[in-house]
Order: sequence, then structure tokens, then C-alpha cells
Amino acid sequence: MDSDVILVIVVCTALAFDFTNGFHDTANVVATSISTGAARPQVAIGMAALLNFAGAFISISVAATVAQDVVNADAVTPTVVFAGLIGAIAWNLITWSFGLPSSSSHALIGGVVGSSVAAVGFDAVIADGLLGKVLIPALVAPILAFAVAGVAIGLVYRVVGRQRPGLVTRGFRFGQLISGGLLALAHGTNDAQKTMGIITLALVANGTLAAGSDPPLWVIVSAAAAIALGTYSGGWRIIRTTGTRIIKMDAAQGFSAQGAGSAVILASTHFGFPLSTTHVINGGVMGAGAGKRVSAVRWGVAGNIVTAWILTLPAAAAIGALTYGVTAIFGGGALGPVLVTLASLSLVVVAFARRLHRGAPVPAG
Amino acid sequence: MAVVVETKELLQTIVASVVAGVGITVVFSVAIWGAARFADLRRNDRPLAAGAAAALAGLSLAVTLGAVAFGIVVMSA
Repeated sequence: MDSDVILVIVVCTALAFDFTNGFHDTANVVATSISTGAARPQVAIGMAALLNFAGAFISISVAATVAQDVVNADAVTPTVVFAGLIGAIAWNLITWSFGLPSSSSHALIGGVVGSSVAAVGFDAVIADGLLGKVLIPALVAPILAFAVAGVAIGLVYRVVGRQRPGLVTRGFRFGQLISGGLLALAHGTNDAQKTMGIITLALVANGTLAAGSDPPLWVIVSAAAAIALGTYSGGWRIIRTTGTRIIKMDAAQGFSAQGAGSAVILASTHFGFPLSTTHVINGGVMGAGAGKRVSAVRWGVAGNIVTAWILTLPAAAAIGALTYGVTAIFGGGALGPVLVTLASLSLVVVAFARRLHRGAPVPAG
Repeated sequence: MAVVVETKELLQTIVASVVAGVGITVVFSVAIWGAARFADLRRNDRPLAAGAAAALAGLSLAVTLGAVAFGIVVMSA
């Protein structure tokens, strides 16, 4: 009975994480389109939500990586998964409150690694999987997106530089509708799978599924719906940072950043690397700015973002480990997760109430 | 000893990203160049050159859309 209660809490928490993932990472998909005027904010966000939903059904290779390659499934219990999710959600909300586009993927992986270590020690972590499937792609992906976008924007300016700006801008705005759509599809494919992977991990840990199983259909549908709803809710703080604070973007730069981001995400998804869409698109935005002029990038803002990226894995791991420690105080039953859930919900409600009291953030665009 | 980094797959990811990201962006910018030249040449009453520019724009746009479709197919394979 207790294990079923914990499993239900884990599934709900995972879907809540998926919602924050869509909410937090909306900026990745829509910020460039909104800031260049390619699409109106509500249209861009609505389209992104639909394509995020559709994208979640395309592939499950990343879900398999999260569920099998980072932590040892035999050593993981639903409570460990729950604590990891709390770590990821907490870090997502902290970085959102500062308007920093950090990685939900790394928050999730960090949270689960931290809670696993707190539960059974470092043996729970598959070090090779963490290094080869997460850390190295995490290092390569933003640099790759930066380079691709930088080279691409340089060539684009050579091709269209002497043409009339009005027509060129309209052309690239049209292109952004396509590249933005592809990016939203890629985001849904890559990010919704992480929640599918984590729910699958919990189902395996509970004995509901056999180890190595693919995510069931209901998991795929619910994860797709949660990330789409989160995306539709929008995260204006981060949209403003990505869309206007890193560089002052023209339509060609927006198209190059989105094109580079889509290419990197699609390629890595195909090969099962669970990279961060946040790192990729922000790397692309910085590359598109630096490709025009190095001083066009506000390196102070970029530095804050990179600092948040570096802190994400250890911070989410620490919160995940702490959460596991708190639940363990109440024994192995459902009481710990129930109390932590109630305390977390209370904290979120208080934080939002204080923010509303101070005034809502101004939408960009 | 386990292979920590799947070097071949990582290299394939890098090559695919560079080819697709740079290639599609440049091809689409050629489509815009073609459309802009078409407008200018037609205004200057040079129908043959304008037709060639329009054909280049159309072809580049078709390549771009084809590449997007190919990317989705590859992703779902």
C-alpha cells in the first residue's frame, strides 16, 4: 500500500517537474522568434506548446538513457526518484526566479544522482554513463551550437548583406516560423523524454515494470501533455533574458540561432545523448551575436548563465540528497514523501504569493 | 574497461550538426537572396535574369523544407 502511495506521489511530482520544464524552457523555443518580431508572443507560445506535445511522441531513445544509463536501477527506490525530482523542481524554480535559463535536464539528472548517493552511496551512480552520456555532451553541445551559429551568421551576412534590409528581415522572420517550429518539436522530443525516463525508472523500482522496459503509452501521453501545458503557461523572465539580454538580435541572427539549435538537438536526440536544450539554444544565441561582432554579446549576462549551468548539477544533487535525508527521517513509508510534498507546495505558494504581492513581471516582446 | 565516450556517435553528432546547421541556414539565405534579386531585376525590366533568380530562390526554399522533413524522419527513425 505504502509503495503504491509513493509511486502515485512520484508520478505526480514527475509531471509537476515536466510542467516546470516546459514553463522554464519555453524561452528556448520562443524567445528568438518573439524578440525579432517573427511571431506574436501568444502565437509563438501556443505553437510551441502544440509542437512540444507532438515532439514527445517521436522518439524514446533519450528516455532510455535517463532510465538506464545514469543511475543503477537496482539501487533506486521510488523515494529516491521522488527526492531527485524535488531537487530538480527546486533548482528550476530558483533559477526561474532569477530569470536564468539553466538546464532542466541537468537539474533532473543531478537531483536523481544526489538522492541515489544519499540513499545507497556512490555505487548507485553509473559513472561511465554520467560522464559519457551527460557531462561530455553537456560540454560539447553549447560550444557546438555557438560555433555553428557563429559560422552560419557570418556566411548569411555575406550572402544577403547587400540586399534591401526590409525584404531580408521579412524573409528571415518567415524562416524563423519554420526553424522555431522545428526547435519546438526537437525540444518536445528531447525534454519530455526525460520525464518519461524518470517515471519509467520509478515504475521499474516499484516492480510495476521489468528492468529495461520502454515507457508505457500512458507515460508518454501524460509527459507530453504536462510539458505542453507548461510551455503554454510561458516563463516570461527567461524569455526576456534569452531574447533580449544576451544580444540585441536581428531576424537573421534569430534564424541562425534557432537553426543551429535545432540541428544540434535533433542530431544528439538521434544518437541518444540527453543534452540540455537550454545550453544549446543559448549557445546558439551567443554564437549568432559573436559571429556578427564579439562585443555584441553581453558577456556579463552570458557569464551569469554559464555559472548557473555549472552550479545546476551539484546544486540539484545537494537538494535531492537533502530531500532524501528528510524523507528517511520518517522511515521508508509514504509519510516522508507526503510531508515533503506538502512542505514544498506550501513553499511554492508562499513564494508565488510574495512575488504577486510585489507585482508580476513584464512580458517581453 | 567500458568505453566512457561513444566517440564515433559523438563525432557523427558534431558532423551532422555542422552540416545541417550551417548548410540549411546558408541555403535558406540563398533563397532570400534569390527573392530579393528577383524583385530588383523584375523592377529593372530584366525578365530572364529575374526568372533565374526566382528559380534559385524556389530551389533553395525546396531544399530547406526537404532538409527539415529529412531531419524529422531521421530523428524518428
